[in-house]
Amino acid sequence: MQVISVDPSLLVQNLVNGVFTGLLYSLVALGLALIFGVMDIINFAHGDFVMVGAYLTYVIATTFMIEPSLTAFITMPIFFLLGIVIYKLIIEEVLGAEPLIQIAVTVGLLMVLRNLALMIFHAEPRGVPFTIFTQPIVIGPITIASSRLAAGIVSLVALWLIHVLLTKTKWGIAVRATADDREVAELMGINVKRVYAVTFGLGTALTALAAALIMTFSRADPYLGLLYGLLSWVIVAMGGLGGVIGVLFSGLIIGVIEALGITFVGAGARELFIYLTFFFVLWFRPRGLFGRR
Amino acid sequence: MSLLTEAQTKTTAIIIVSVVIIAIIAGVAVYYASQKPAQTVTVTQTQTVTKTASPTTTTTSPTKTVTPPKIKEIKIGLIEPLTGAHAVFGQEAKEAAELIINVINNELGGIKNLGGAKLKLVVADAGETPEQAKLAAEKLVAQEHPPIIIGAYISRMTAAVAEVTEREKIILVMDGLVDSLTEQGWKYVFRVAPKASAHGKSAVDFVLDMAKKKNLTIKKAAVIHEDSIFGTYVAQGAEKELAKYGIDYIVEAYPYDISDVTPIVSKLMDYNPDIVISVPYFHDAVLLAKTIKEMGFHPMFIAGAGGCGYTDPDSIKAAGEAVEWYTNTYSYNPARPTEWNKKIVKMFEDKYGKLPTEAAGIIFYSLMTVKEALEKAAVLHPEDPLNPDNLRDAFLSLDLTDNNSIAAQLYPTGHIKFAPNGDNIYAGTAVIQVINGKPHVVWPDPEPGIQPVFPRPDWPGAKG
Repeated sequence: MQVISVDPSLLVQNLVNGVFTGLLYSLVALGLALIFGVMDIINFAHGDFVMVGAYLTYVIATTFMIEPSLTAFITMPIFFLLGIVIYKLIIEEVLGAEPLIQIAVTVGLLMVLRNLALMIFHAEPRGVPFTIFTQPIVIGPITIASSRLAAGIVSLVALWLIHVLLTKTKWGIAVRATADDREVAELMGINVKRVYAVTFGLGTALTALAAALIMTFSRADPYLGLLYGLLSWVIVAMGGLGGVIGVLFSGLIIGVIEALGITFVGAGARELFIYLTFFFVLWFRPRGLFGRR
Repeated sequence: MSLLTEAQTKTTAIIIVSVVIIAIIAGVAVYYASQKPAQTVTVTQTQTVTKTASPTTTTTSPTKTVTPPKIKEIKIGLIEPLTGAHAVFGQEAKEAAELIINVINNELGGIKNLGGAKLKLVVADAGETPEQAKLAAEKLVAQEHPPIIIGAYISRMTAAVAEVTEREKIILVMDGLVDSLTEQGWKYVFRVAPKASAHGKSAVDFVLDMAKKKNLTIKKAAVIHEDSIFGTYVAQGAEKELAKYGIDYIVEAYPYDISDVTPIVSKLMDYNPDIVISVPYFHDAVLLAKTIKEMGFHPMFIAGAGGCGYTDPDSIKAAGEAVEWYTNTYSYNPARPTEWNKKIVKMFEDKYGKLPTEAAGIIFYSLMTVKEALEKAAVLHPEDPLNPDNLRDAFLSLDLTDNNSIAAQLYPTGHIKFAPNGDNIYAGTAVIQVINGKPHVVWPDPEPGIQPVFPRPDWPGAKG
């Protein structure tokens, strides 16, 4: 086995790889951050929503022969409604309950979704065999996969839109007020239950967008939730509930660390880099990078 | 006051009643559970009785030839992952086993040398973990006591099953491929299928053979593999072979549930090898092929090894054009033009509406080898053909070729003979390539009308 010497173009190449992957990771975690930040709900089924979204993308894209990334226009409204239904049926019951009960409920949801996927699609990976992203973009020694570039840009736009929604709109103010103090918000005439339902729907819809982007280059399998669920939690905890900015930066950090780790050390220890980073960030900033409370 | 006490007495009464009910249920359960091993004992005892009975018959009528104990039915255990992450293999293995058992019982008239005794398949779910597999083996052995078990596809689960079968002296025909399974000093294990490192070796041999035919030289190679024991053994087989021919190479291991492989592909592009030997699982195969295509990485050839991903129908469906010209090594050759192979493949297609993959193929020839071993045991040890040591003896004395058995006709190399450790001496794989979106066998003997595509047409050095 030979050791490759560090070559600057490879370094830049992987910084680029890491940034685009990181942006996508931020988008995956955004829905979770939103739900956790506003509703204080520990949603362990988040990654499995991504998994269900990936399957829905696969089904719609292959049935109607649509470019997988464009299916987001169909899957996002469906997931928004799905989110509201799940909120009404399951989540509303455990609002403000002990964390242990919330964990039990969402882990139950996770199990149902995962086993449902296993039952319907079995363990074979499902992928969309066509996409408009087939040619790389080559800039000097740097090669960028167009699907990752597109995923990165769409993620960035989505993060920005959510940021604007939360900071600049009346609804966003209501959401943040509810997040800060539920009782006072209620006294001020904010319909807290509706804020919660819409937030949960929005958080769920974002997983559908992430899933559509993932399906341009990857595959759906019943265990996808495990992968993205844990990753989302790391990003949210590292971001420290600092809103969209926190999620963006911790996603980028994870993406870059992962890319550099795989390239210069080895892919076998991929998760080690992620969790070591997580550990060190929380060691020095227990409230996360952008923690405010 | 009195009302309250009445309520209290009521609660106490309810509690007492429920405790009693629970105790009764628990008691019955314990009794039932303790009965089970007792039943097993009875089974073994009956067997011992039969064993001692046979010599008695011989002594009373010494002139007569040994009359074999009348065996009407032989149970064959099948322990496969029928649920969970590996269910795709287990389910297909089960389908294949049901088909072959049916062929043996109905078309071939059972085990002829045992008076046409029928085989009965008894199936257990190995689940997802070695613990579940071991439990499934314990249960199957206790309830059915089959003399031969086949399983359990995933190597670490196979090892767990072997712990039970070795202890109970049951023959285990393994369809797990990790090398170490036959290196434990186990006595009652056999493996017809080519082991993991043989897959890695075959992949390299194929590429080198093709390069030689096309007058191309290979100087640099990259071996990328998923980092399970299986993937690592396959990769080691490839590495050893590359080193033997003096080819420089790098090795990259990664977890198969990796979310993005762009960094790995970037690394490969930076090293710029002539060939890539890739040992994927399923999910990562789709991801790797798509990323390699999209990043515009064009080596002379990309050869899969280990039989997972790239060339199976599901991977082709999921990855589309991205897996065009990829190859993989296969423990089974569905296109081998022997009479029985054609027949079994057709039966499988008719019954299940799909081509058999490796998981089914291994079961085809393993189960047919079991049949041959049973026939042989009846000849060599008519007094007690199902005794584990006699069965072992029968397995070791087999020398199956296309001319004398169905089993060999279903096997890639057409030759099955066991070494004392249980491995097939003539083990080998076929190579399958995706050509125009369809998997075709291209090596060592290509399908009629099919030529391997080598080098990859998108390689800058390819002519035309």
